[in-house]
Amino acid sequence: MSDGPILELRSITKRFPGVVANDAIDFELLPGEVHALLGENGAGKSTLMNIVYGLYRPDGGEILIRGKPVTLGSAREAIMHGIGMVHQHFMLIPVMTVAENIVLASEPTHAGVLLDYAASVERVRELSERFGLAVDPEARVENIGVGQEQRVEILKALYRGAEILILDEPTAVLTPQEAAELFEIIRGLQAQGKSIIFISHKLKEVVEIADRITVLRRGRKVDTISREGATETGLARMMVGREVLLRVEKKPAAPGQPMLEVHDLSVLDDRGLGAVRDVSFAVRAGEIVGLAGVDGNGQTELIDALAGLRRPSGGEIRVRGQDVTRASARRVLDLGVGHIPEDRQRRGLVLEFSLAENLALHDYDEEPNSRFGWLFPRRLISRARKLLREFDVRGGGPQTRASALSGGNQQKVVIAREVAGDPDVLIAAQPTRGLDVGAIEYVHRRLVEVRDEGKAVLLVSLELDEIRALSDRILVIYEGRIVGEYDPKVAEEDLGIAMTGGGSAAAA
Amino acid sequence: MSVRAESVRSGWERATGPRAVGILGIALGALSFWLALPPVHARNTVLPVAVGILGAAAGIWAVSRRERRVGWGAIAAALVGIVGAILATRSSLTHLDIVVFWGALVTATLRWATPLTFAAIGGMFSERSGVVNIGLEGMMLVGAFFGALGADKTGSWEGGLLIAMAAGGALALIHAFFAIHLRADQIVGGTAINFLALGITGYLYVDVYGQQGTPTNLPAIPDVHFNWLQHVPPHQLGSFLDNSFGQMNLMVWLMFPLLIVSYIVMFKTPIGLRIRAVGEHPRAADTVGISVYAVRYSAVVVSGVLAALGGAYLSIGFVHSFSEGMTNGRGFIALAALIFGGWRPFGAFGAALLFGFSSALALRLPDAYGSSAGTLFQALPYVLTLIAVAGVIGRSIPPAAIGRPYKKQ
Repeated sequence: MSDGPILELRSITKRFPGVVANDAIDFELLPGEVHALLGENGAGKSTLMNIVYGLYRPDGGEILIRGKPVTLGSAREAIMHGIGMVHQHFMLIPVMTVAENIVLASEPTHAGVLLDYAASVERVRELSERFGLAVDPEARVENIGVGQEQRVEILKALYRGAEILILDEPTAVLTPQEAAELFEIIRGLQAQGKSIIFISHKLKEVVEIADRITVLRRGRKVDTISREGATETGLARMMVGREVLLRVEKKPAAPGQPMLEVHDLSVLDDRGLGAVRDVSFAVRAGEIVGLAGVDGNGQTELIDALAGLRRPSGGEIRVRGQDVTRASARRVLDLGVGHIPEDRQRRGLVLEFSLAENLALHDYDEEPNSRFGWLFPRRLISRARKLLREFDVRGGGPQTRASALSGGNQQKVVIAREVAGDPDVLIAAQPTRGLDVGAIEYVHRRLVEVRDEGKAVLLVSLELDEIRALSDRILVIYEGRIVGEYDPKVAEEDLGIAMTGGGSAAAA
Repeated sequence: MSVRAESVRSGWERATGPRAVGILGIALGALSFWLALPPVHARNTVLPVAVGILGAAAGIWAVSRRERRVGWGAIAAALVGIVGAILATRSSLTHLDIVVFWGALVTATLRWATPLTFAAIGGMFSERSGVVNIGLEGMMLVGAFFGALGADKTGSWEGGLLIAMAAGGALALIHAFFAIHLRADQIVGGTAINFLALGITGYLYVDVYGQQGTPTNLPAIPDVHFNWLQHVPPHQLGSFLDNSFGQMNLMVWLMFPLLIVSYIVMFKTPIGLRIRAVGEHPRAADTVGISVYAVRYSAVVVSGVLAALGGAYLSIGFVHSFSEGMTNGRGFIALAALIFGGWRPFGAFGAALLFGFSSALALRLPDAYGSSAGTLFQALPYVLTLIAVAGVIGRSIPPAAIGRPYKKQ
């Protein structure tokens, strides 16, 4: 093999109606290197990689593999050229086994007719040992965890003989431990001569894993730099195009009276199994309490119960001393609990409604928005105009449909509605999920402001950095129980261990 | 106990678990009815009622152990069984012997189940690939008409079958084009297919055959005779076998290889794996280089061809003529059998047998009990389908991407 790049993109351009997603991007991948592609959401990273994987056709430019120009019209052709991609949303079939998922479309057969399942399992086992990717070939995908699903995706690419591996935001769904394991795997693959493109918008992991980093901003390539000399601040500036505060500036908390109190709360999940077990805690005025935990350890059910969306099976919830254990969502709201839901598109917004309507979801039936059962749309619109300005929502006015906004701006609309209601308690569930650096900075600042106004904030997040940066106290939830309370200065490793059930309940 | 430990149950626990007991209850309910029928002919109600009560008890036990679906199913089966048994013991023996003539019932059951099975297997290919095929009814009807027309014009039943298959495939192609390419709503598209089939066959029928109807000497798909069956000892078994299987249509026999082949194709070959992958997660299939469109087109066309075979069997294998709208909802029943059978060949076949049995029984009842009883029994498949869809005996889980058009990025 020559020392030239294994993959080279020359001035790739891709236009979608109304946007130039990729504007004359050059990119080169050397054999055996880990090359990170860094950029905010919408910077064009995924578009570029979908072009390499044959899912999109470029409007201009050239793709060269080992120095030879190629056209990649379909995923099949990309696979033939030794390109494999692990998508951000896994492309796995839940009801099939790991082995079936891996061999799909290039199955070993008996005499070319019958599927040779035993051989499939054997091949998968071989590959999994060779590359150190532990999977159970005969398990059904619906029964395995996220970390294992990702390994299955990587094996899928390797099974097809991939020399170039594209990992699209691979750590977005992983716990810190799983992410560390993934980095080990990536280094192992690199040692076996594979070339890897690592797409991310997380600065820390890019600096940790990549040999070189290419930064994209709004469809254009900013620069390619090597890891030496790359700093998180410098990369953030390249990504966003201005100075970004990566650290959250906040004064020490001045906690007051308990606003939200939870005693021995138990909640069942949709299948009727215990999801939250005998949980007790309190959130006081003027503090942010962070609830850390791996996804699926009862956070969703706990938030639902607090917001009045799910009836607890036992225990008690008090808001400002009033019992709301069995109260409706409306009553909880009226008592001054704001709720930024986990899934803003499904539960935070009515995507088909205008921003003005979305902003009025809580108080459309109160004066001055309506009177005697009549709604006054003009009043909704004029208030919305004020709120959109105050919360810096870009990309639309009061009459724009919510679905037309970017994720970051949608989240700002949700926050605007919840904060404008002047709640005493604010429950923020994964408030920055899927947002980019600039928007995260905004949301974080806003949450600290809410705290400084003397409100009680419960922050539920899967991002440890976020929990540690914002919280005044950290609670760790594991299998539905609070297993410890920590000071925000605690080491990330200790939190990680507690989140996976290890370690004792340490006191701050 | 943790969730994980609960899910790892031993085989023994499963065999004595509430679910198994509930299923036993269902079996006991059926047994209580059967005891009152020939050849056992229990003439007093004690034994059937006792067995029925046992079944109901098993059901109640299962319900109390949180196995609600199967448990209630057992209770319902026991009640139906007891009522049926009491009614049967009150009927005269001769009436019962007219209706419950097992040999004839078996052959009639198979005869009625055949068109349903062909269409249901066709539906399985389409739906496993993610395309809802409510147009099975229309495809059967087209098969029935073009089978008759083809047999008439070519002078051979083979020609009839080929032309029926082509017609069914063509109609399916229309459905596929709307559902896959134009991404139209598949229920609406399928309904349109049904009306289109009704219109085309109705028009052509009047145009070609007018008042006379299809000719009486229409070439027919031959029956297969097994005369040696009646000599199987002992005599009773021999005559039962002969009455059941001695003289059946070729298409009935072809149904069995079709079942086996379609099972192997769907679950033991790369083709089947790809069809199922496309029906579960088309984008995943696409990213490994499977053409979602090609798989879906082929699967829908296959479904049309098989449904048309079922229809052709009706016209040139069974009643030897064509009449307008003669499929009379059998495509929908086939769809119900498919769902009832959990989108699997043998499951669908089992359901088709059940529906076929109720049709066979319904046809024999009027001889002894007057026409109203038969009419009532004709409704049985629909009742059973409702019960099945409500999920009494384990809800069937459809392919994940069923009914959802796929758009390539």
